[in-house]
Amino acid sequence: MANKSRKMLQNRAMVAMVLVCVFGFGLGIFGLVRAGLVKGEYYKQKAESQQLSDTTVSAQRGTIYDRNMNVIAQSADVWKVYINPSKITKDEVRQNVAKVLSEILGLEYDSVYEKCGKSKYNYVLIKSQVEYDKKTEITEAVKNNKGFSQIVGIESDVKRYYPYSNFASTVIGFTGTDDVGRSGLEYFYDDVLTGTPGRVVTAKNARQIKMSSSYESYYEALQGGNLVLTIDQVIQYYLDSALEHAVVDFNATYGYGIVMDVETGAILAMSTKLDYDCNNPYTVANQSVLDKIEELETDEEKNNALINARYSQWRNRTVSDGYEPGSVFKCVTAAAGIEEGVVTPAEMFNCRGYYKVQDRMYHCSHREGHGVEDFTTSLANSCNPIYIEVAQRLGAKTFFKYFEAFGFTEKTGIDLPAEYSPTANVTYYTGDRLGAVELASTSFGQSFQVSPIQVVTAINAIANGGKLVEPYIVAASLDENGNKTMETQTTVKRQVVSEDTAKQVSYMMEETVRRGTAKNAYVAGYRVAGKTGTSEKLPERRYYIGSFCGFAPANNPKITVLIAIDEPKSGSYYGGTVAAPVGAEVISQTMAYLNIEPQYTDSELANLDVTTPNVVGHASSSAKADLEAKGFTVRTVGSGSKVVSQNPASGQVIPKNGVVVIYTDEKAKTTKVQVPNLLGMTVAEANRVAIANGINIKISGYTSGSTNNSYRQSITEGTEVSAGSIVTVSFKSSVDVAD
Amino acid sequence: MAKNGQTIKRKRRRNVLFGEGGIDVFFLMIVLILLTVGLIMLFSSSYTYCYYNFNGNSLFYFKRQLFFAVLGVVAMFVVSKINYQYFKVAAIPVLALSFVLLVLVLFVSPPPGFEQFHRWITVPGLGTFQPSEISKLAVILFLAWDIDKNYRAINTNELSNAAFAEGFNRRPGRIKIYTKTLCLLEYAIIILLTCALIYKENHVSGTLLVLALGVMMLWLAGFNSKAFIVVAALGVAAVLLVVVKPDILPAHAQPRIAAWLDKDYDPLGARWQTNNALYAIGSGGFFGVGLGNSKQKQLYVSEPQNDFIFSIVCEELGFIGAFLIIICFILLVWRGFVIGLHAKDKFGALLSMGIVLQIGLQAALNIGVVTDVLPNTGISLPFFSYGGTSLLMLLGEMGMVLSVSRYSKIKKV
Repeated sequence: MANKSRKMLQNRAMVAMVLVCVFGFGLGIFGLVRAGLVKGEYYKQKAESQQLSDTTVSAQRGTIYDRNMNVIAQSADVWKVYINPSKITKDEVRQNVAKVLSEILGLEYDSVYEKCGKSKYNYVLIKSQVEYDKKTEITEAVKNNKGFSQIVGIESDVKRYYPYSNFASTVIGFTGTDDVGRSGLEYFYDDVLTGTPGRVVTAKNARQIKMSSSYESYYEALQGGNLVLTIDQVIQYYLDSALEHAVVDFNATYGYGIVMDVETGAILAMSTKLDYDCNNPYTVANQSVLDKIEELETDEEKNNALINARYSQWRNRTVSDGYEPGSVFKCVTAAAGIEEGVVTPAEMFNCRGYYKVQDRMYHCSHREGHGVEDFTTSLANSCNPIYIEVAQRLGAKTFFKYFEAFGFTEKTGIDLPAEYSPTANVTYYTGDRLGAVELASTSFGQSFQVSPIQVVTAINAIANGGKLVEPYIVAASLDENGNKTMETQTTVKRQVVSEDTAKQVSYMMEETVRRGTAKNAYVAGYRVAGKTGTSEKLPERRYYIGSFCGFAPANNPKITVLIAIDEPKSGSYYGGTVAAPVGAEVISQTMAYLNIEPQYTDSELANLDVTTPNVVGHASSSAKADLEAKGFTVRTVGSGSKVVSQNPASGQVIPKNGVVVIYTDEKAKTTKVQVPNLLGMTVAEANRVAIANGINIKISGYTSGSTNNSYRQSITEGTEVSAGSIVTVSFKSSVDVAD
Repeated sequence: MAKNGQTIKRKRRRNVLFGEGGIDVFFLMIVLILLTVGLIMLFSSSYTYCYYNFNGNSLFYFKRQLFFAVLGVVAMFVVSKINYQYFKVAAIPVLALSFVLLVLVLFVSPPPGFEQFHRWITVPGLGTFQPSEISKLAVILFLAWDIDKNYRAINTNELSNAAFAEGFNRRPGRIKIYTKTLCLLEYAIIILLTCALIYKENHVSGTLLVLALGVMMLWLAGFNSKAFIVVAALGVAAVLLVVVKPDILPAHAQPRIAAWLDKDYDPLGARWQTNNALYAIGSGGFFGVGLGNSKQKQLYVSEPQNDFIFSIVCEELGFIGAFLIIICFILLVWRGFVIGLHAKDKFGALLSMGIVLQIGLQAALNIGVVTDVLPNTGISLPFFSYGGTSLLMLLGEMGMVLSVSRYSKIKKV
């Protein structure tokens, strides 16, 4: 009996034990496995997301420098001001916060007051990109106003500064508010420029109090790399301002320009005008475009137009757009012909004014025909029939070989985004598709499209002894300590034509500037070689692109320049009229800047400007006599015995018979004269008028021969200036420039 | 037989530590391991909470718990010295005390913040204690005592000789009144009355614990198995009813059921504690973040020293640590059963088994709650959770088991 009851108790105890283990602890272990192991990672993340406060330490984006280490784009620390409206309980606090913040940050009180009322949120941004001084004021205000520390917060933000605003903006691009490159170099080199943001991860407890520092881990921010461009800030400025003037003067839609270093292919300047301010990329810079948008009816139309206008102004058209190069391409046809030995520069041709290919009649720009001329003169005259002839001598296959060799079928490979991509039999004809008609039109630069960068690269090959180099715009990248992390080497793609051929074509182009359609590109003292072109804009054929491409000095080329004026709408649209003068302006300024010694011809020397000597401190009478002996026109103001000051100051360049005003009296310093009208005149006329009015002119552009005409003056008519001031007057020829 | 007995006696003599017979060192070891680990974990988990709630006095809870632990260990040894037969004397008074206190607690105003819950009585100088803790011991003690008395009757078809029953039994008829039936009735009333009173405190987990404990004691007593199938069926039905119709529960328990069923329910309210316990367990992974390194105890797990201390254990010691602690609890129950099975009489057997069952059930229930296998109910983890009087009582009960072990015919390591 005792045994039996013992057995029973044992059995029942066993069952109880099993029950407790299975349904009791079994469940617990099941739960532990589920929460700790199976879903462990999930819960761990949840835990960390509530425990850790993860602060990003922003890594500064790299700086962009020009080739002389001038800062083009730079990031700076700015701040974001935000509030925690859930901490605002009383209306008087709300009013006070709104008042203080709106006053310091220059915001509207009502909108800040409204934001303060979003009591469900604990983060509402008041203003981003707040500068240091404002941030300091906010910090002060937070200190001085009770309760503000719970409500107002400041966190770091970044801002990209472009000190030169519009400077090469389509090339440089811009960044978004997220500090990511959106366009141009900022976009293309985003990886290099972007740093790696650091983090401070701190653990906090449920009351948001930071736990001890042993829970803190710090990941240092890696600063972004810096870029050194091949762009030269000074040359870019020349190009930018010359193009900007041209666009206004010729009422053009755009102006494009590229200045390339001949030997290396480095881009010294690249511009698309009108462009935008990199600091405010979303603001449409072109007022006439804005006016047009304003005229639209619905908001949707306006909005779409605004978006299009933005994309349009961001576009780097020198790289991304295709156009028909027109007669500029004749240099390529000439080079191919000479290289293949089918023509020499001295060969005589007879232009009858037209050329018939199958049933198509091609006219020369000079309808009556140029008559008998040598091949060199045919380039100077931009004579279409002769180039059709040369292309036919070459044959489609050989012609296309050179078309390809000069790089017109491929991207140039420049390190910029969205390069124009040539497509066989869409943007150009391949050799086997070049029939007689297509060959004829291609020979003088029509019926195919290329980008400005392709054209300047091809012409650069002629300047560079036949070597085609790859254009590039970033010279090097530097780390934060200034060590080079990357350096671009010049890539010579191929020898397109022999050095001898290149020399011959170069000579032909020089003649074109000296006496042909590109004469407005003439720069006294420098041998400029160039060719102009004019082409209809497809598909409407309503507008034109006038372009110029050339290099200087022709005897030892340093720079190749391309200028294209898109849709000039004020009279002449020829490349020789609209683009060549811009080219001359850029070349003359750049040559001087690059310290390339001018070499004047005798006729140039006759017209040459002179440098004013210093006469300050000299006796009035002897100063006057000295200046007059040198040919200056002298005006004396005052009756003192000594020269107190002079205008122009010493070292200024003015015409040989220019005006020098000498002041012999302290009081008489402010003698003013009005700038007269100096437009539509020859050099001699303009000089005469200027001297008569007591000012000097500085002559710019084409001045040899008697067919020149002034088309721009640097100081507008009627402006009051000190007597003796210098006004730059630009001249160009309007005769025999049709190409 | 006599020779055998003599050798046992001699062996026992050799092992005597205290008075007559040796205590079971194995059981004592498990108790001390659990107590030590529990104290360390209480220190670790309450550190931050105390820092923020007691003006930087991080050791506030630990010091108090340590005091009661020392007191409790002394009490354990004193109790273990007492011949457990004397505990029988206490069976009725303790039960009576339990009922008195359970009624009394309903009239004591609860501490601030716990207005719904009439669970605590404050004793000046000692702090608060829960009468339900005494009730558990009372039920165990009473059932062990009474079942021991009626053990034969319960396991046979002995007719009752109670005055009112004799009338039935003497008359020839179908209705016979067995002693075991009357016993069952008596026990059921005592268990259910205790449960009802605890339920009245708004203390569902305590109610369930006493109920489960009572049923298991009756199971060990040897009542007809069929009755337990009915009880089990009723239990399953009750669980289903609660899941389907939670509004039959007291108001405070309803959202806890909802929060258990719907894991996205009120994350900042009803599920906050459970979610943060799960985050802690997940953070611990297999090996844990190391002792003292819990982040979830940084005020995320509310009152990490109380019912949810096990989640901090899991975070710091990992799955492996938690598992070993569970193994300790299982060993404790197992050893208590072994002591009980070899006890001199049924009273000792049931007392020992009842006490370890109570601890086992409570620990299992607590771990189930912390790991979200069961709905959140306020139930503490023995040896770990903060609570001085409760620890004192727990160790006293361990002393009772050890006292039984002195007379138990087992190898005591």
